[in-house]
Amino acid sequence: MTAIAARRHPTMKLYVVVWIGLILIVGLEVLLTYERLPAGTLLACLLALALVEAALAVMYFMHLKYERPALFWSLIPYLLFALVLMDHFWPDALRLMRQRLHGP
Amino acid sequence: MSEAATARAGTLTEGSPYGIPSRKLAIWLFIIADAATFGAILFAYGYLRLANPDWTKPFAVSPTIVNGIVMTVVLLTSSLTMVAALAAAQSGRTSTGIRWLGVTMLLGTVFATLHVREGFAMIAAGWRLFRNPMGGSPLFGATFFGITGLHLLHVVCGVIVIGVITLGFRRGRFGAGHVETTALYWHFVDLVWMFVFPLVYLMNVR
Repeated sequence: MTAIAARRHPTMKLYVVVWIGLILIVGLEVLLTYERLPAGTLLACLLALALVEAALAVMYFMHLKYERPALFWSLIPYLLFALVLMDHFWPDALRLMRQRLHGP
Repeated sequence: MSEAATARAGTLTEGSPYGIPSRKLAIWLFIIADAATFGAILFAYGYLRLANPDWTKPFAVSPTIVNGIVMTVVLLTSSLTMVAALAAAQSGRTSTGIRWLGVTMLLGTVFATLHVREGFAMIAAGWRLFRNPMGGSPLFGATFFGITGLHLLHVVCGVIVIGVITLGFRRGRFGAGHVETTALYWHFVDLVWMFVFPLVYLMNVR
């Protein structure tokens, strides 16, 4: 029982460590921006770092790590599946490039 | 209904398979739906950004990126104060919880103020939803104001909700469960910014 209670209540020290980690990732993102990488490479790097940040926030700040696994498996895979579908269907929107508005 | 009937009804009611209150499950479902909304908008932006050869990169280190970094740190810190508020609320330290909720509201207000100030500076520089004063793709204004505006709306709603919950918590009308539900929403707002800042700000540095 004590072990379960401890699992369900992470300490403030752990929260502060996660917060510092998130700040460091933001710093890394800013540094990468000024490395003048090609746009596609920069986007991939920034997205990967943002996903790590999101995972830390969801697991620790939002306590998903401390909930029953059923909650995780009921929510996250389906969200990821929806996002992957968007990734596959959005290229069709590139037709918009031929219809885009022109500047003044 | 008699006590015996209530007890019988209780035995017929299944517990939640997730072991959480229904309001917490509801906010999780809302968060997933809202994440899909932001996901769609950010995917659309990503394709527009990469496919447009004349995409404008208007942001200089100072003031825009410095402002963006400060906004990010403020919002991340507000998540930390929110978990402190929740920890205090769950352990019965009401006054400490209220104090941390107040700090979270203050940080949320600072974030929104910085955001609005930057928006007004861009409007003063001639940016509009479909007008680009630098002569590039007019879609920059639409995506920038659209994405950051939707996020700002979430922040403002969050600050208001935290205020309402804080008042109710102080008066004893709301408990730690309500603080937890609000905290989940607030962390989600923070999480969305983790994608908005690199994709909308850092990808458009000069």
